[in-house]
Amino acid sequence: MSDTDLTQGSQLSEPLADRRILVMGMPRSGKTCIMQLIFEDKNPYDLMDQLIPPTMVRTAYDMISGITVYDFPGIEDLADVGGPDPEIFVGPNTSLVYVIDAQNEAGKSLAELLALIRVALAANPALPVNVFIHKIDGLSEELKMETQQGIQQRVLKNMGFESLDSSNVQFFLTTVFTETIREAMSRVSLRMVPRCDYLESLLNSFCSKSSLDKVFLLDVRSKIYLATDSSPTDPQLYQFACKTIDTIGDISMLCAGLGPERDDEVVMQRTVVTMDTNMRLFMYQVNLELSLLCLGPSAVVKQQSLLEFNAAKVAKAIRQILQ
Amino acid sequence: MGRSGAGKTSMRSVIFTNYTAHDTRRLGATIDVEHSTVQFMGDLSLNIWDCGGQHKYLDNYLNEQKENIFGNVEVLIYVFDLETTNQESEYELYDECLQNLGLYSRDAKVYCLVHKIDKILDDDMKAQTIARYERAIKKRTKGFDMEVFGTSIWDHTIYRAWSRIVYKLIPNMATIERHLRNFCELTEASEVVLFERATFLVVCHTTVDETQSLNRYMNVSQAIKDYRRTCQAVQAPFHSMEVRNRYYSIFVEPFTKSTYILVITTDPEVEPAVTKANINAARSHFVKLADNSEVLQ
Ligand SMILES: Nc1nc2c(ncn2[C@@H]2O[C@H](COP(=O)(O)OP(=O)(O)OP(=O)(O)O)[C@@H](O)[C@H]2O)c(=O)[nH]1
Ligand SMILES: Nc1nc2c(ncn2[C@@H]2O[C@H](COP(=O)(O)OP(=O)(O)O)[C@@H](O)[C@H]2O)c(=O)[nH]1
Ligand SMILES: [Mg+2]
Repeated sequence: MSDTDLTQGSQLSEPLADRRILVMGMPRSGKTCIMQLIFEDKNPYDLMDQLIPPTMVRTAYDMISGITVYDFPGIEDLADVGGPDPEIFVGPNTSLVYVIDAQNEAGKSLAELLALIRVALAANPALPVNVFIHKIDGLSEELKMETQQGIQQRVLKNMGFESLDSSNVQFFLTTVFTETIREAMSRVSLRMVPRCDYLESLLNSFCSKSSLDKVFLLDVRSKIYLATDSSPTDPQLYQFACKTIDTIGDISMLCAGLGPERDDEVVMQRTVVTMDTNMRLFMYQVNLELSLLCLGPSAVVKQQSLLEFNAAKVAKAIRQILQ
Repeated sequence: MGRSGAGKTSMRSVIFTNYTAHDTRRLGATIDVEHSTVQFMGDLSLNIWDCGGQHKYLDNYLNEQKENIFGNVEVLIYVFDLETTNQESEYELYDECLQNLGLYSRDAKVYCLVHKIDKILDDDMKAQTIARYERAIKKRTKGFDMEVFGTSIWDHTIYRAWSRIVYKLIPNMATIERHLRNFCELTEASEVVLFERATFLVVCHTTVDETQSLNRYMNVSQAIKDYRRTCQAVQAPFHSMEVRNRYYSIFVEPFTKSTYILVITTDPEVEPAVTKANINAARSHFVKLADNSEVLQ
């Protein structure tokens, strides 16, 4: 039995899932908070109030499309614990998320990141590395940009010194207080969803045929999107979409008990939200987990039956693709 | 009325302005009395006096100012801070307020809010605490119509108390209720709820099971108010919402100038378009009722 290495945990004997996101970082960087926010639907303020014990074992969270997210115990010093088993980074559907606390001095955390990257890229040169610059709440816009640039430059420069390929490294600014964290997680998982190119082009054509502005295919429980059309994603709009899903959930509670008797039945839920501006939102259930969320001008969503007809066809295609 | 820090201004800000519970952490102590007027249900004006609860002001209210403060009061809302360190002096203050109310506004209604109830996590403990307060307050309240509520700005309980308070203030409520019931039958809806537009407080509803349904509706009040704030932030003011599936349909629609309506149908035979048409048809009729409390009795 190896000593306290990164893969220590109750599930040590279990092999890791094929499609996996590995979440790592220093202790107290915010990993467990992120997991609890996304997968346990905790409120960020409650997370701040509660005392989260340090993660001692690797925890697995199931995401849609067979992707599993692993929350690893934070490590102070890779060299001390002998480093993670390089095997965990291998495989075409593996992605690394590294969480850095932006409210603390990043030096130590960056050194650890570099050590981790060395091991990981040696095992899997094509591994996507996603750096979450976390806890950006409380930082001014200016400071946010400065922090990101500082961290980005140091990582890329150091990788350059060691001739490591940095083309798969991405940076995200995140906090549990806004949907930035869900958006970042979505961006990470997006690339691992089976046949993601098909999905994207399907949504693109849905968008243009139905004159919609934006379409998300998302997991209603975690609000992570696993596909969207290729137009740029306005963070505000995504935040709004998330809030809409919460509200629909709250309102549907009114009819708790009136729904299906078995909870594995797809009830064909459709929602329309109208704004006092030229905007509407339409949501269409695809399967038990997934829904299509469409944003468009009122005129389009007004032709409700046509839109529903198109959405039904797209939903069917999505079910086939994901099967 | 209530001691400093009890939560009076917080509660007023959450109900009548767009504050979230978090925003109230920014509030400072109220200086003297803050007067505000809210239009409620068309032509009903609520004059709200938020009386700062620091000692120097309280002394003033109970002495020099008593006639001004306690005269012409229709409703006294007394906020008890659950976390008070001196229960006895809290009750003494309440006694003094009631004494003055008895002198100057004999017919006032009294509502006692046992506030910050979120601080008690256990549901049984919550109920026990409220019951204990209720017994103690009842004993001290003579000659007034009085109700006790456990409240917190962190959940729907605050909406519940205020819905009850304003319900009693709307003069033609019985008529509105009757018409709402008729409407419910005509549209073959299973439930219809009327909300006040600005506050989203529940005005009236058609279900019989009072407590159970109210709690469900209060959650909607809270959810829609929250959602409206989000919509505002993306410059797309909320208008209406419709959730449909194989088993039920829920409509949230602007109704009269001063109300929103929520309609639930569970009959799959009833087409959504028909329900919407019915809502539109009923609108002109209710405009007379809900927006003008003087018409029809
Ligand atoms: N936990 C909890 N805190 C609350 C609640 N309501 C108010 N508070 C907090 O209590 C503090 C004081 O609230 P205020 O509304 O300013 O108190 P006030 O009664 O107006 O005080 P004065 O104006 O001095 O009389 C604020 O920090 C609120 O956030 C509640 O229901 N639960
Ligand atoms: N300000 C702020 N604090 C955060 C955020 N995310 C997590 N935290 C705090 O960071 C601390 C450590 O979080 P935790 O998830 O236990 O870290 P872990 O050891 O990486 O799993 C906790 O006290 C959280 O309250 C964030 O987005 N903003
Ligand atoms: Mg105050």
